[in-house]
Amino acid sequence: MAMKKILAALLAGAMVLSMAACGDDKDNTVGSSTENATAKTIDGNVLDEEQYFNGYLGGDPTTLDGVIGNDSIGGSVLNNTMEPLTRLAEKDGQNIREGAGAESWESNEDGTVWTFHLRDNTWSDGQPVTAEHYAYAVIRTLTPETGSPNSYLLTCIKNANAVLAGEKAPSELGVKVVDDKTIEFTLEQPTPYFLSLTDGRVMQPQRQDIVEQYGESYGAEATNMVYCGPFKVESWTHNSEMVLVKNDSYWDKDSVNLTTINYKIMNDENTIFNSFTNGSIDSCGCGTPEWMDKFGSMEEVQYIHNVSPSVRFHFFNTKDKLFSNKNIRKAFTLAIDREDVSKSIYFNTMEPAYSWVPDGVSSGELGIYRQQVSAPLKAIAEKEDAKALLLKGMEELGLGSDPSTLNITFTMGDTTQWIKNYGEYYQQKFKEVLGVNITLDFNEWGTFQSKVNAGEYQMGYMVWGIDYNDPYAMLSLMRSDSTAIPTFWANEEYDKLMDAAAVEMDEAKRVELYEQAEAILMEEAPLCPVVNEASNTYRYKYVKNSNTMSFTSTGLKYAYTSGRPD
Amino acid sequence: MLKYVLKRIGYMLVTLFIIATVTFFLMHSIPGDPLGAMANKLPEQAKANYYAKYGLDKPLTEQYGIFMKNLVTKGDLGESLKYPGKSITETLITNSKVSGVNGAFALLFGVSIGIVLGIVAALNKNKWPDYLVMFVAMMGITIPVFVLAAMLQYLFTVKWQLLPTSGWGKPKHMILPIIAMCFGSIATYARYLKANMLDVLGQDYILTAEAKGVSRFNVIKDHVMKNAFLPCITILGGQISGIFTGSFVIEKMFGIPGLGFYYVSSINDRDYTMIIGTTIFAAALFVLAQLLIDIAYTIFDPRIRIK
Repeated sequence: MAMKKILAALLAGAMVLSMAACGDDKDNTVGSSTENATAKTIDGNVLDEEQYFNGYLGGDPTTLDGVIGNDSIGGSVLNNTMEPLTRLAEKDGQNIREGAGAESWESNEDGTVWTFHLRDNTWSDGQPVTAEHYAYAVIRTLTPETGSPNSYLLTCIKNANAVLAGEKAPSELGVKVVDDKTIEFTLEQPTPYFLSLTDGRVMQPQRQDIVEQYGESYGAEATNMVYCGPFKVESWTHNSEMVLVKNDSYWDKDSVNLTTINYKIMNDENTIFNSFTNGSIDSCGCGTPEWMDKFGSMEEVQYIHNVSPSVRFHFFNTKDKLFSNKNIRKAFTLAIDREDVSKSIYFNTMEPAYSWVPDGVSSGELGIYRQQVSAPLKAIAEKEDAKALLLKGMEELGLGSDPSTLNITFTMGDTTQWIKNYGEYYQQKFKEVLGVNITLDFNEWGTFQSKVNAGEYQMGYMVWGIDYNDPYAMLSLMRSDSTAIPTFWANEEYDKLMDAAAVEMDEAKRVELYEQAEAILMEEAPLCPVVNEASNTYRYKYVKNSNTMSFTSTGLKYAYTSGRPD
Repeated sequence: MLKYVLKRIGYMLVTLFIIATVTFFLMHSIPGDPLGAMANKLPEQAKANYYAKYGLDKPLTEQYGIFMKNLVTKGDLGESLKYPGKSITETLITNSKVSGVNGAFALLFGVSIGIVLGIVAALNKNKWPDYLVMFVAMMGITIPVFVLAAMLQYLFTVKWQLLPTSGWGKPKHMILPIIAMCFGSIATYARYLKANMLDVLGQDYILTAEAKGVSRFNVIKDHVMKNAFLPCITILGGQISGIFTGSFVIEKMFGIPGLGFYYVSSINDRDYTMIIGTTIFAAALFVLAQLLIDIAYTIFDPRIRIK
C-alpha cells in the first residue's frame, strides 16, 4: 500500500508534467450524423452503429454456478446472463420491481404462499425455461450435500432449516412446481421481504441436466453452462478477460441494445485507472483522491456518487469487562467525529453514518427507509457527552476517574498501510477526546476472524454489506441468536421487536418496529457505525442507461452507447 | 552417471514428500479457513454443510491421508476451494505455460543483453561504457519491478497510446511485461559477468596465453569467456525454475493469466488445495533445475566429475 502511494505520487507528478506539455487535444463533441435514417433512437439519443461496452471485473469470478458461488463479481456476471424471477429497474430515481423470469406474481393474504407465473423464455441451447428449472436451483441450494454458502438466504422457505440440517428430505421443501409456467413457494411464516430475494442469484434458474452433465465443473468454464439472461458468456480467459454477447434466445431481446460486453479482469488500481484514461474501458470505480481529481476534470466523463448499502463500523466485545458497560461503549461511539473521519480518512468518498441501517435500503413499497426514520445517533450525540459517559462508566465499574489508566486493544483484520493509518487516527482521536490509550492490533483477515469469533478482542473494525433490500437484513444481524458480528450482545426486547417485524405484513407497522429496534441498538451501542460506503463511479458520457443506483439489478440489459468516439 | 541421476531423483522425491507434508500441516495451522475468508456471516448449519462437502470436517490426519493417497496414486492435487470446479493440476499446467512463455522471453532477453553489457563493461573497465553499463545495472537492481512496470504502462499505454494496457493472447500484450521483467536479469548478468571476467583476466594463465602471442580476441574467446560463464550457470538454474511460477506483480498489472496470482492469493484465501499445489509445483521445479545444473556443470566444467 505504501508502495502504491509512492507510485501514485510519482505518476501524479509525471502526469502534471506531461499534461502541461501536451494539452488536451481530445474533442468529444458528438457529431451525430442523422444520415442513417434507420438508426435507432432512445430518449433522443442516436445509438452508435456498433453497440459494445468495455468494462472490467475486479477479479476472476470464483465460479458462475450461482448456487455454489457467492462472490459479487460472479454475481454481476450472472445478473447479465441469467434471468431471476424479478428485477429491480431504475425509473426516475426509484427502484421499481419489474417482471423478469416471472410475468406476474401474487401472495395469499398473510404472505405465506407466493405464486409466480413465468413468461416464455428460452435457454441459449433452445430449450424452454420452465418452473422446474427455478425450483431445481432453489432445492439444490437448500440440499445439505451441495454445501451452498447462499442457503441462509432461503431459510424462510418452509422446512428449509430442517432440510439443511438433514432432518427432512429436500422433497418436503415448500417449493412446488404447479405446472411448466407456475411455481409456488410456501414459507415458514409470513416474510415481508420475500420479494426482495427474487431478483438475486438464489432465484435464478438452473438446468438439472446441464448441472449433472458437468458435475463439479459446472460454471467453472464459459462452455460448461447454458444461459437464459440478456447476454451469454462467449469466452472466459481466467484472470484475464471475459466476453459476453447478446443472447438471441432471450425473451426481451428487443430491449437489449449491446451486442458485446468485453470485461477485462483487472485488480490493479493503476492498471484500471490507466485503462480508463486511455479509453480502453468505459467505466471505473475510483476512491483515490489524485485520480478522482483527474477524472473529475475530464469533460467527457460523468461522475456517479452513490451511498452503498454497506457500513464500516466498530464493534465491542460485551464479554470484556470494560465494554460490558453500556456507557463506555457509548462513549467510544460518540467520541468519533464522523464528518472528520469521512473527510480526513476517506477524502469525502464515503458518507458519515449515524445509523445501522444505511441509506438507500427500502422497506417494501414505502420506499427508502432512511427517508422515513431519522438516524438515531445524531440525536444521541446532541444530548450526551463522550467523556462524561466514559467517566460514568468507569465509576460504575470501579475503575477510578483517570481515563489514562485504561489500555484498550483495537483489533483489525488487515495489515495494509491504509489500515495502519486508520488505526493511528483513532489512537490519536481517542486519546484526545477520551484520554484513553489504544493499542493497535493488526491481523490477517483469517487470524482476525478467529480472534473475534473466540471473543479474544476488545474493540474491532469491520465492514458489512447488506444481503437483501430490507432493513431486516441489517437489524437481524444483531439478534441474540445471530453469530454474524460477535459482540455477544443480547437484548430480550430487541429480539422481541425483531420477531414481530419478521412477520409483520403491514409495512407502516413494520417500519415502526424497525425504528424501535434500531433505537435500542444505538442506545445500547454494541456496535458503532462510522461511515457508509459509497460508490464513486466515473463513466464516459457516451454510455447511456447503465445503472446508477445500489440495488438495481438490471445489469447492462438496457444500456447502450451514443456518441462513442471512433 | 545414470546411477547418479537416479539417486538424485530419489532424493528429490523424498524432499518433495517432506515439503508437501510440512506445507500441509503448516497451512492448516494458520488461523482461519477458506469459508472464513469468503464470508463471516453464515449460520452454523450452512457452515457445517460446507465443511462436510469439502471434507474439512474430518480430523486433520485423515484429511492428510486422503490428500496423500490422491497425490501418490493418481497424481491428483484436488480441486480449488475458492474456485469450485477448478482442477489444481490443470490450473498449474495451463497457467504455468502462460507464465513460462513470458518468463522464457524475459530471461532470454535478460541473459543475452546482460551478457553483452557485462562483456562491454569488463573490456572497458573504468571507461565510460563501463560506467554506463554499471549505472544501468544499478538502476535495474534498485528500481522495484512494479515501479518500472507502472512507468512503462503509463508511458506506452496512456501517454503515447502505443500498446494495450492489459490483456493476453497477442504478441503486443507481451512487450511491456517482458521489458519490465527482463530489466532485473539484465542488471544481474551484466554485473555478474563483468566481475567474473575481471577475475579471469587477472589469472596467470591469461598472462601465459598473452605471452605465447595469442591475439587479444582469441584470449578472450577461448580463455576468458569460457571460464567467466561457468558461475552464471548457477544463477541461471534458479531463474529457469522461476519463469514457470510467474510474477505476481507483473501478472496482476498487465492482466496476464499466469500462475503468479495463485501463489499469493491462495494463501490469503486459505485455498488449501491451491496452496499445496503451487508449493509442490514450485519445489519440484526448483529441485529439478538444481539437478539439471549439476549435470550441466559436468559437461561445461571438466574439473567436476561425478563419482
